[in-house]
Amino acid sequence: MHDLPWLLKPADDFNERCAQLADSLSPVDEVLALANAALSVNQSNRLYRALQKLSAETRAVLSGTLTPFRLGIASNGTMDLMIPSMVTAAIRNGIDLEVITADFGQVAQEAFDPVSKLNQSHLDAVLLALDYRAYPIFAGEFSSSNEKSLSNEALGYLQQIRESFTNYGGMICITQTLACPPYELSGNFDAQLDGMLRRALSEFNFALTEDVRTCADVMLDIAALANMVGVNQWFDERQWYMSRVPMANTFIPLYTEYLTKLIAALRGKSKKCLVLDLDNTLWGGVIGDDGLEGIQVGQGHPVGEAFLAVQQWVKALKDLGIIITICSKNEKNIALEAFNKHSGMLLEEDDIAVFIANWNDKASNIRQIAEILNIGLDAMVFVDDNPAEREIIRTMIPEISVPELPKDPSQFLRILCAARYFEKIDFTDDDAQRSAQYKSNLRRQEMLQTTPNLTEYLASLEMHIRFVPFDEMGRKRIVQLINKTNQFNLTTRRYTEADVLEFEKSDHFVTLQVHLQDKFGDNGMVCVVICKVYDDHWEIDTWLMSCRVIKRRVEEAVCDEIVALARSYGINKLRGFYRPTEKNKLVKEHYHKLGFELINSSDSEEVWELLTDRYHMKNPPLNIEKSSLIR
Amino acid sequence: MSQDKAAIFDQLALIFQDTFIENSCTFSIDTTRDDVEEWDSLSHIRLLTAIEAGFGIQFDLDEIGNMTDVATIVDLLHEKLK
Repeated sequence: MHDLPWLLKPADDFNERCAQLADSLSPVDEVLALANAALSVNQSNRLYRALQKLSAETRAVLSGTLTPFRLGIASNGTMDLMIPSMVTAAIRNGIDLEVITADFGQVAQEAFDPVSKLNQSHLDAVLLALDYRAYPIFAGEFSSSNEKSLSNEALGYLQQIRESFTNYGGMICITQTLACPPYELSGNFDAQLDGMLRRALSEFNFALTEDVRTCADVMLDIAALANMVGVNQWFDERQWYMSRVPMANTFIPLYTEYLTKLIAALRGKSKKCLVLDLDNTLWGGVIGDDGLEGIQVGQGHPVGEAFLAVQQWVKALKDLGIIITICSKNEKNIALEAFNKHSGMLLEEDDIAVFIANWNDKASNIRQIAEILNIGLDAMVFVDDNPAEREIIRTMIPEISVPELPKDPSQFLRILCAARYFEKIDFTDDDAQRSAQYKSNLRRQEMLQTTPNLTEYLASLEMHIRFVPFDEMGRKRIVQLINKTNQFNLTTRRYTEADVLEFEKSDHFVTLQVHLQDKFGDNGMVCVVICKVYDDHWEIDTWLMSCRVIKRRVEEAVCDEIVALARSYGINKLRGFYRPTEKNKLVKEHYHKLGFELINSSDSEEVWELLTDRYHMKNPPLNIEKSSLIR
Repeated sequence: MSQDKAAIFDQLALIFQDTFIENSCTFSIDTTRDDVEEWDSLSHIRLLTAIEAGFGIQFDLDEIGNMTDVATIVDLLHEKLK
């Protein structure tokens, strides 16, 4: 997997295109295209140098297209070699990465000094790139008495470092599990005797995982990565002795790809939707030609089992909250027959949120799926065994991810998994119910098509809305919404779990989480508002809503609530902000529509104001569960 | 230079051009580390990785430190590919 087989190989003229990048007619598109390939360390370096020669204007446009992220690195090894790879892999994953490194070996000094370089750099996160050699205590005495655990000491050390960075620098930590080097002393007994490296590392990794599960820090699972590629390949003693490079150079592209996928997930950029072809992708054969009996899927047949394994992956993704859709060139009734009648099929028609089988071009069909689901094309992954279809979709829809697949279907699963499109940092109730929610949404849309009057339609939805201040139960989902909502987001300010906790506890903020139910089901948390409290006015720092509930006058109900709250606090003035991005044009008129007045405007920000005593309650057709917030 | 070594040099030159970006200087058998400004300790590691991948060989620890000119690398490769 070191050569990222799900990505295309770089074009033959890659070097020339890097050299001419600054003179390119559309340099930003060119950067995105060049980065979107399986780059070697040398190629990443070449593109990285070319990026540095771009004009300030081009750099600014590129940054605007991507999501910025400031990453600090503290390591017991040499990480400099990886920086070009990190930056180019980040671009591939939608992130404009700025890397700030600590001096070699200065991990503890950087953490414990409140005015250290990393603590002063306003970082979004610090990567603690530590391997087992960073923890000298692992060389301990052997004992079978279970008295003293080496891993506890190592974890305690790491804990102090993490807490210091969070307290002094205000960033989250990306911690690494530890790969176990292939040096055994007593074979199988290494896992059983206290003091043995293997036993200590297993304990360490398990305890670290348990800890990270319940806090804002995230984990880069290097033990799993080294396991996947094999520790004999992962470790290269020559590079460690010579230059303190912590693993074999050949794995730099894979390491940086997975690191930046994790960062992208922190910024809500993981993929949300899988678009699947049918023939030779979900089953062997062509159902239109071979017939229901002729296709291969299911137990008892080698090729059938290979495709069954792919279906098991799809089904599990659905349960993780990924939206599953079909886009196939087929007669729809024939394609559906496989789902409903073939005994070897694991996937059912009900697993599929949108099922498109026709003879139109796939690019139009995919755009239609995006529209129906109201998600971005950049949140979609298109899986098709046919190289020609893949090529067309890549050309027509550059934003979408299209994995390369080999001819042999038994290899599909490991490549699709290794591509890590669906990196997660948490699992909320909403994830568990997503599939049902999208199905309800489709039924709502169908109803909209048959109900001519919008007000009647909204009333018929029997919506119940509930307002609650931030609390522990909602915290994870609040952080998730803050970091992934792009379209209905007035200021697109991203906050960490620690920040959200601060808003929750502080008297200087008034917060709202909004839950919506209707007759088709529970939509979960659909809106987050953060107001900053001043003596004579409130500033609406954050107002975002899930796109699932757009055009249902939920924002009016929320505005009514904010105004009622402000009045109850004796506040007469509300200030709202619109900070334009590539993706939030949808809400440009948001404050205008609600009756705010524009008082200041620049390229980067509009300031809107509302006097609460002049506000007329909108009273949209929703049942409001009377909040206990109003004083 | 023997025929074998000439072929090795040709393949090696491509790897050099891939590793060093400001490759206006053409690499010859006489090129040394002092001639190439970009040839610092970091790019040395990239060079090493690219040569090992390109030729499908692995250098010993003591060889890596001695690889400071093209002629030595060609000799080493010639020895290893025998």
